[in-house]
Amino acid sequence: MIAETHFAAPEEVMALLDGELSTERAASVSAHVAECAECREFVEILRNGSMTVANWTVPVLLPNGEFEKRLAEAAPQVPSRGRLPELNKWSAFLGRSWMSIAAVTAIVLAVAVTSSRRMATPTNMPVDMARTDRGGAGGGFNRLDQFARGFGPQKSATVQGEPASKVSENLPESVGQRALEENGLVSPEDRFSGTDDLQTPLIARTVTVSIMVKDFSFSRTALDAILARHHGYAASLNASTQQNAARSLQASLRIPAGELNAVIAELKSLGHVENETQAGEEVTQQHADLVARLKNSRETEQRLQAILLQRTGKISDVLAVEQEIARVRGEIEQMEAEQKTLEHRVDFASIELSLAEEYKAQIGSPSPSNATRFHNAMVAGYRSAVESVVGIMLFFAEYGPEAMIWLAFLAPLAWFLRRRWRLATSLAS
Amino acid sequence: MLAFVQGSPEALTELFRRYQQPIYGFFRRRITDSSRAEELTQETFLALLRAADRYEPRALFRTYLYAIALKILRSYRRKAIFRAAFHGRPEMISDPAKHDATETGLWVRRAVGQLEATDREILLLREFEQLSYAEIADLLHMPVNTVRSRLFRARVALRELLKPSSTAVAAVTQAASVGGNPQMIAAKGQST
Repeated sequence: MIAETHFAAPEEVMALLDGELSTERAASVSAHVAECAECREFVEILRNGSMTVANWTVPVLLPNGEFEKRLAEAAPQVPSRGRLPELNKWSAFLGRSWMSIAAVTAIVLAVAVTSSRRMATPTNMPVDMARTDRGGAGGGFNRLDQFARGFGPQKSATVQGEPASKVSENLPESVGQRALEENGLVSPEDRFSGTDDLQTPLIARTVTVSIMVKDFSFSRTALDAILARHHGYAASLNASTQQNAARSLQASLRIPAGELNAVIAELKSLGHVENETQAGEEVTQQHADLVARLKNSRETEQRLQAILLQRTGKISDVLAVEQEIARVRGEIEQMEAEQKTLEHRVDFASIELSLAEEYKAQIGSPSPSNATRFHNAMVAGYRSAVESVVGIMLFFAEYGPEAMIWLAFLAPLAWFLRRRWRLATSLAS
Repeated sequence: MLAFVQGSPEALTELFRRYQQPIYGFFRRRITDSSRAEELTQETFLALLRAADRYEPRALFRTYLYAIALKILRSYRRKAIFRAAFHGRPEMISDPAKHDATETGLWVRRAVGQLEATDREILLLREFEQLSYAEIADLLHMPVNTVRSRLFRARVALRELLKPSSTAVAAVTQAASVGGNPQMIAAKGQST
């Protein structure tokens, strides 16, 4: 047996390399390895494997002085062992029980909140509500900030349990940033440049307005003027101007986010607002994820290209790297397009406008002449006759062959039955 | 850690400086998102701070710290799966070796990603965190002998994955599976 020719099992040889054998066993296994060429070769294989695995390096984490400083500041707040009372076990037990109760309550609340969010239509949520709700859920919080506001889970739980308005008071940076931006002091590009969690929330706003106007022509002209004045545009516009009917217009407008309120106010002045809905979808997290993934992919592409330039290997390896580069490039372009779309949604608010005219039927509405009506009737009659002929032909073309088959089956039977009936009637007479 | 528990705040800063990079590496090799890895690193030290009054030097501090990191990692993965189940938006929760290629060692990461989950965890803890068999066994709640055999299996499988054409390693694997001594067969395989 091969196993009997070796003093040590391969796992023991591996443990020897890892320094996991006892002194006596290590000495004996080491002596065997020194004598056995196969075991030495196996040792070499294991060493090479570890060296290869070591190629998986991780970038050095940049020193976070802020976190370190806050860590040092918070450290004295932790009760040291010497200051703990004798009832430490009881307090730990109670603490853990309360933690369990709090965890169960949190799970129930999370399920309830999630269910209610799924049931509610997000687009019906007002913009401000959406903002404060996301803020209340801790979307804009960094863990460092949570830590800075007060050490310990109890403190953070209190903050999360506060009303939305109160939570928003605890976010002076983001609120202040939003105010600056609304006043035009911060450009939208600045918002996209930040990658930390404290950046201004990116909100894609959508407004739906239905307006009843008295003068449709004037409103149509005014709409074009509003779009030109506020640098917006109509993504789609469908106007219906039928005679003897109310004229209407459905348009999907794109307005710079900063001009949205002014545009809505001007649109409302065109007539009577019948319906208005505003919604805001926060895409901050989505954008941050996209930016991070894009950055990673770009770094990956650079490193792959560096590998391709610097390393020599088999053709199959080179091809594999090139395929990987092509895949990463495709992902980068796709993500860049997604990023542009997302930023465009934030920069340009969407207004779904519906304009309808107050229709008043007119007694003296002009009617076409008799000659025109006769001509139209002739044309309509001709078309109707042609349609009828074509319809009959289509019917026979579609059902004729099938009818012929049924006729071939049923005709002999009918002939036979008719003959029997005639025979019976003749005998009876 | 004991110095910190006794009331020396500088000790915690020193611990942070000493273990920040290893803990970040621990998360970075298991999570795709680098910023999330940094966040979890900070969370690990916060958890260490919170649990300072309950610290008892029953094992090495390093083991204690990695145990916290492992719990935080599992918690993060659970939450990610939970969120994905509720919101229907799958999140990249782990295994950068499977989905990501952001650093050097592309093939290594891919090969490690193909290992069985527990074997991979043991291999990573041994090769990168440099934990002993006993520490790994303590962390993963399994016998030391199981750790050793699984580590051996992972290394052999990884060798095969890194060099698929190597008949020697295939022979080692085969021999290990049938109970023979793989050294000889591996050597034979290489010679052929």
